Amino acid sequence: VSADLNTIAPLIVAILTALLILVVDLIAPNRPTPVIGAALIGLAVTAAVTIAVGSGSIATATTAYGGMYRLDALTTFLDLLFISVVAMTIVFAPDYLTPRGLPVAEFATVLVFAMCGAMVIAASADLLLLFLGLELMVLPGYLLAGYHKSDNYSTEGAIKYFLLGSFSSAIFLFGLAFVWGLSGSTSIATVASTLTRVATGAEPFSPGLAMGFAFLTTGVAFKIAAVPFHYWTPDAYQGSPTPVTGYLSVGPKIGAFALILRLFVEALGPMKADWLPVVIVLAATTMTLGNLVALTQDNVKRMLGYSSIAHTGYMLVGLAAFAGGQRQGLEGLLFYGAAYSFMNLGAFAVIAALQKRAGVTSGLSTFAGLGRKEPILGLLMVLFLLSLTGIPPTAGFFAKALIIVAAVQAGGWVGFLAVLMVLNAAAAAFYYLRVVVYMYMRDPASDAPALRHGRLLWGGLATATILTIGLGFFPGLILGIVGDAAKAIAG
Amino acid sequence: MSGFPILSIVVFTPLVGALVVAVAPSRYARSLALAASLVAWVVSLLLLVGFDPNGPGGRPFQLEEAINWIPLFGIQYKVGVDGLSLILVVLTTTLTWVSILASFAPIKDRIKEYMVSFLILEVGMIGVFVALDTFLFYIFWEVVLVPMYLIIGIWGGANRIYATIKFVLYTLVGSLLMLVAILATAFAYQSSTGSWTGAFDFERLHVANFDPNLQIFAFLAFFLAFAIKVPMFPFHTWLPDAHVQAPTAGSVILAAIMLKLGAYGFIRFALPLFPAAAHTFGPAIIVLSLIAIIYGAVVALVQPDLKKLIAYSSVSHMGFVTLGIFVFNQQGMDGAILQMVNHGLITGALFLLVGVIYERTHDRTLAKMGGLAAAMPVYAVALGFFVFASVGLPGLSGFVGEFLVLVGAFEYAPLVAAVATFCMIFAAGYLLWMYQRMAFGEISEFFKSLGHHLTDMTPTEILTLAPLAALIVVFGLFPGLVLDLVRGSVTAVLADAGRQGPIAIATQTALVLVAVPILYVIGRVIWVARIDLSGGGASGGSAIEPVASPEGVS
Repeated sequence: VSADLNTIAPLIVAILTALLILVVDLIAPNRPTPVIGAALIGLAVTAAVTIAVGSGSIATATTAYGGMYRLDALTTFLDLLFISVVAMTIVFAPDYLTPRGLPVAEFATVLVFAMCGAMVIAASADLLLLFLGLELMVLPGYLLAGYHKSDNYSTEGAIKYFLLGSFSSAIFLFGLAFVWGLSGSTSIATVASTLTRVATGAEPFSPGLAMGFAFLTTGVAFKIAAVPFHYWTPDAYQGSPTPVTGYLSVGPKIGAFALILRLFVEALGPMKADWLPVVIVLAATTMTLGNLVALTQDNVKRMLGYSSIAHTGYMLVGLAAFAGGQRQGLEGLLFYGAAYSFMNLGAFAVIAALQKRAGVTSGLSTFAGLGRKEPILGLLMVLFLLSLTGIPPTAGFFAKALIIVAAVQAGGWVGFLAVLMVLNAAAAAFYYLRVVVYMYMRDPASDAPALRHGRLLWGGLATATILTIGLGFFPGLILGIVGDAAKAIAG
Repeated sequence: MSGFPILSIVVFTPLVGALVVAVAPSRYARSLALAASLVAWVVSLLLLVGFDPNGPGGRPFQLEEAINWIPLFGIQYKVGVDGLSLILVVLTTTLTWVSILASFAPIKDRIKEYMVSFLILEVGMIGVFVALDTFLFYIFWEVVLVPMYLIIGIWGGANRIYATIKFVLYTLVGSLLMLVAILATAFAYQSSTGSWTGAFDFERLHVANFDPNLQIFAFLAFFLAFAIKVPMFPFHTWLPDAHVQAPTAGSVILAAIMLKLGAYGFIRFALPLFPAAAHTFGPAIIVLSLIAIIYGAVVALVQPDLKKLIAYSSVSHMGFVTLGIFVFNQQGMDGAILQMVNHGLITGALFLLVGVIYERTHDRTLAKMGGLAAAMPVYAVALGFFVFASVGLPGLSGFVGEFLVLVGAFEYAPLVAAVATFCMIFAAGYLLWMYQRMAFGEISEFFKSLGHHLTDMTPTEILTLAPLAALIVVFGLFPGLVLDLVRGSVTAVLADAGRQGPIAIATQTALVLVAVPILYVIGRVIWVARIDLSGGGASGGSAIEPVASPEGVS
């Protein structure tokens, strides 16, 4: 038992962090500073424990609780990514929340609980645990989307997000039931070995299994907001408080991709030739439609919402490359996930900072003349947008290059996806650069003086900047762990 | 890597300069930027001294530096020069300080940001010319894009946002497909050798004989990227917009250096890496070049706007460059390279001269001009000099380049040379007519209304033009200065390109490539004729201009 507890230590520390934040808030109510301090310390300890526990399981995986929980390089990589995403979100939040009278403590607690869910997904070796983690991750998301409860848009977005989210969870669960029923086990390893027999023709490919696959794919496609299951995204993103939008566009998405890695790559991996066509179609429609609709948006949050759909499509190309026989596709996917998290959070942080003055919308006009009014904020926004476009030497560029390499290697239709992907990236340049046009080539709409931003925000922005540039210049920094993580699930 | 990293110093001096300008107070921005660009210029001249034109070995890359950058994929920071890159690096550093000097008076707003953009632009351009790793090449290629986007978009004319977005999107579509091709060739190299080592290294790739199918795909991707940049017909439509809207120095750099990036890409990468595909598509590209030469000249003839006229003349002159490259012989290639240098000097100077007149009149309409010879005698003399250089007056450098290209084209097929020669007549036509309208006759009412604002050139303006004029005379009299320097590069490129002949299967594709632009021209002619027939007020001249939406981005 103590060995088991040791293995899940990161999770325990994470839950303790969430509780610590609540306690601190009880002691010093309505004061953001101690709460954020406690949260950051707790997250730092969680990260340290994750590294300490995980470093022993890079080469060979450690399992716990009868094989339900699996700690390997992928778990460690994803855990660290989730922790940094949550830490950055918490850092960016007060500038937006405090002027609107929204409490910081509950925000931080709920966020840390969502992180626990994502960590459970990353470590699942069992379908039930996988579902448990998924629900633990998305439930706090519904809460957060409606966090600004006096705001109609926030409530509307939250309801849409909740209804479609729980609907898709049900579909997903239904699919799990089929797979469980026809393979006789909820253990991912057992499911994989059963499916290997199906794939080699030793056992028939039953219609029930096909139904199960269809439901699972649909459920997951909802979670990652792949076209045509993306309708909830723009409303949920636009309505949510900006720091929440930043988190929603990154955290649950990476979490859902963790689910894909555990479920599709590990459990359904033997059947990858069967689901490859579906992924190719999903990837192609997702990135193309996401970009086309983003082109027409005048609200930057909504635009980034649609662009996040396009980025989902790019990551799916990595998955398709894996199914086409290239493990590098997974490396590309993981690297993209990390790069996307930092640059997208950075972009949302800038929006949140601009909205410090209550009543400021996230329309394009808010950005008019920003380059002159707030030169540093403008410059950072340019950096994040260039990275999202994929202009070197930024993290976003290298992430795209990595996925393209894998897709080109996989060849065939996946190679075609690579071409479609770069054409999409060129189209995306238009709407990302449009924000730059407003920031640098138009005059400010109002004469309102520049805002003062907190030290935390600058610290968070500095971190995002360093990571965005650093991963662009020295991608080798995380290519090692990314490679180990891909090996851990794809052999 | 051995010895002193002098190439990296040339590449990164402007970057250091940009950082210094960024942190220093705005009032020093001008002088600091000029200082940085002059330092880069001096160091690049030192390169010229240190370079041995009869250098060692088959591939005469010299002053190489290589550091492993992303070892997992064998990506290196690897730079080196041969004669071709060297001459273009020196051209870049020269024109950058000229442009920065020429920006002192016109740019009054946000001077610091402007200078930073310009210096970063220089980093990218020099980097493209010295990169020997395809991945690194791509990165520098994209780095060029962002500062130019800002220079046109922030300091440009009234319709700048439309122009800059068009410029970026055109360039990006081409370059991203090139990225896919770069990665595909690297992977092909990796799968044939079993290791990523050297998969992006040009010195290894140029002797790898790639599979014909890959060559066709990769060549087309490279072709698109370079053809858009050159720009070759029918990918040229971004150029007039970008030129007209860009500030003077932006136009100078755009014409003088950035168009050369595409031509350089053809010579350095497209030909040596994919010889079979290059030979396959060679005839189609020659046809496109001829169309560009004639189309550019004809359209230039009817332009009412001075800057647009010179922009279209660029399309025509750059057609000579691509023509010279794809006839695959010594004279053609020599001529193409000489023409690149000459076009850089001459067109750069012409744009500077347009800037001079625009500074005083804030108008570039040819119809309003006249009598400059009386009003601004020094200016008229300078303009006359560069106009004659551009026309190709023997004794000035423009002549030698075009002559060599024509010799090369004649050797390839006399008909091609005959068609190209027409262009020289057109060039004489539109340029001399332009000069006549501007310089001779009575001083126009418009100029009279400006009164004392219409002063002659200032010493600074003369200083910016003097080095260009001197070089044009020197290269015109002694073209050997350039030709000796690039001899090794030309031999090596032709040897690489001569390894393989054309691929038979792709003939249909090549035909399609020819047919599409021809259909485009026919369609265009019909379109123009339709407007003229309807008599809806649009004159022939403006009907040929690309249709520009007044508010491209809103």
